[in-house]
Amino acid sequence: MPPKLTMSNTVIIHKTSDVELINMLKASGIDKKNAEEQLFNAYSYFIKEGQRKYKLSHDEVFDAYADAMLAVIEKIRNDAFKGLSSIKTYLYQIFHNKCVDFLRKKTTNKQSVHQTASISESMFQLSDSAKSIINKLMEKTDFDLLKQKLNELGDNCRQLLLLWADGYSDKEIVGKLTYKTADVVKTTRLRCMDKLRLLYNTKLY
Amino acid sequence: MGNLEYIESYFCNELSPGERVQFEQKIINDKVFAEEVAFYCSAKQMIKNELDSEKKEQFRKIYQQTNASHQSKINATKIWLLSASAAAIVAIVFGWYLFEKPVSTPQLADKYILEHFQTLGIRMSSRQDSLEIGEGLYNDGKFPEALQQFERIIKNNTESFEAKKYAGIVSLKLKNYDKALAYFSQIENDSVFSNPAKIYKAITLMERNNAGDKEQAKELLHQIIQNNLDEKETAAEWLKKKW
Repeated sequence: MPPKLTMSNTVIIHKTSDVELINMLKASGIDKKNAEEQLFNAYSYFIKEGQRKYKLSHDEVFDAYADAMLAVIEKIRNDAFKGLSSIKTYLYQIFHNKCVDFLRKKTTNKQSVHQTASISESMFQLSDSAKSIINKLMEKTDFDLLKQKLNELGDNCRQLLLLWADGYSDKEIVGKLTYKTADVVKTTRLRCMDKLRLLYNTKLY
Repeated sequence: MGNLEYIESYFCNELSPGERVQFEQKIINDKVFAEEVAFYCSAKQMIKNELDSEKKEQFRKIYQQTNASHQSKINATKIWLLSASAAAIVAIVFGWYLFEKPVSTPQLADKYILEHFQTLGIRMSSRQDSLEIGEGLYNDGKFPEALQQFERIIKNNTESFEAKKYAGIVSLKLKNYDKALAYFSQIENDSVFSNPAKIYKAITLMERNNAGDKEQAKELLHQIIQNNLDEKETAAEWLKKKW
């Protein structure tokens, strides 16, 4: 059971219900960004409560809250949030776990234990033997170099790939950027990925 | 594009059960293909991490702005309680005058420019590019040279959001308001994660202060609030003032 939060300093008026928020988070366009900000603001008082309860620094608690928020947004978009509890309870549970992780990290000083790379959700689709091969190859990836190469791709490619990673479909990207059709978006996106691969491999070998 | 489309079809569940088995078998038997799949997964994960970092920065900005306004409200209340009697006298004498005096829009714009456009290029990435040359010139106060550099970038890449944004800022610094407005107008509808072009456009109009500029600036500030765009808190604060 997560510890109970006191609501003494809460000034939130829940104008938007969970259902409305979920629908907005799953929508496309401006609603999506608005919903993320609304959700963030609605429970940002967790940060001060967390500082008091867990005796962590403001930056640590902020990171825990922001990470929990991003996790909740992703779970909602992927339909992994089943609505068995309110968004607030669900968010708090994840936030609590992140704070406890920070505490453990501080008390045991075993940072490496808690810094394992998160496995991409898509990897779970692979069979065990294929997954094991891909995992081993991914362990060799120089993520800093890959990030550097993403920045060298140019604004257009970078923006396109970020929208794709944010869950926008090719059809939605047509409306957001200046492409004519979803097919053009897909071709351009795959070309950008290929360009990234070439840039990364050139530097690597 | 090699096997990227095929790899994506697998992860998007577009292959039949038989094709999926073949795909997984290919990973086991074909080392080059397995490396392509691993690259796809790594790249997607890295891009997602990059996106999350940008979102966290955005959350931090929102939190700081909200907190600052909340904190200033608390402080204001405390000060008011402590000096209520003295403030009442001052308020009676000067209150009417201050309340009625319209705000000077060029002064508001000057303050913003002073606070936000001192330097360019505070970025988290380790990118080394021609944009940075322009940023360096700007930060050294060489505005005409910086403008030339940004315009050179725009000439080579007409879609460069950052170069246009910076060219607009430098033009504003050089008091070439028409040029600044033209650059900000070009990017104001670009769908980037953070786009302050509308507020920059409003500031330029407030600085120029020609007939009708004030009204246009106000309209832009209203749009910023309605569409929940960057700097909506600043826009709301300015609109509260008497123009």
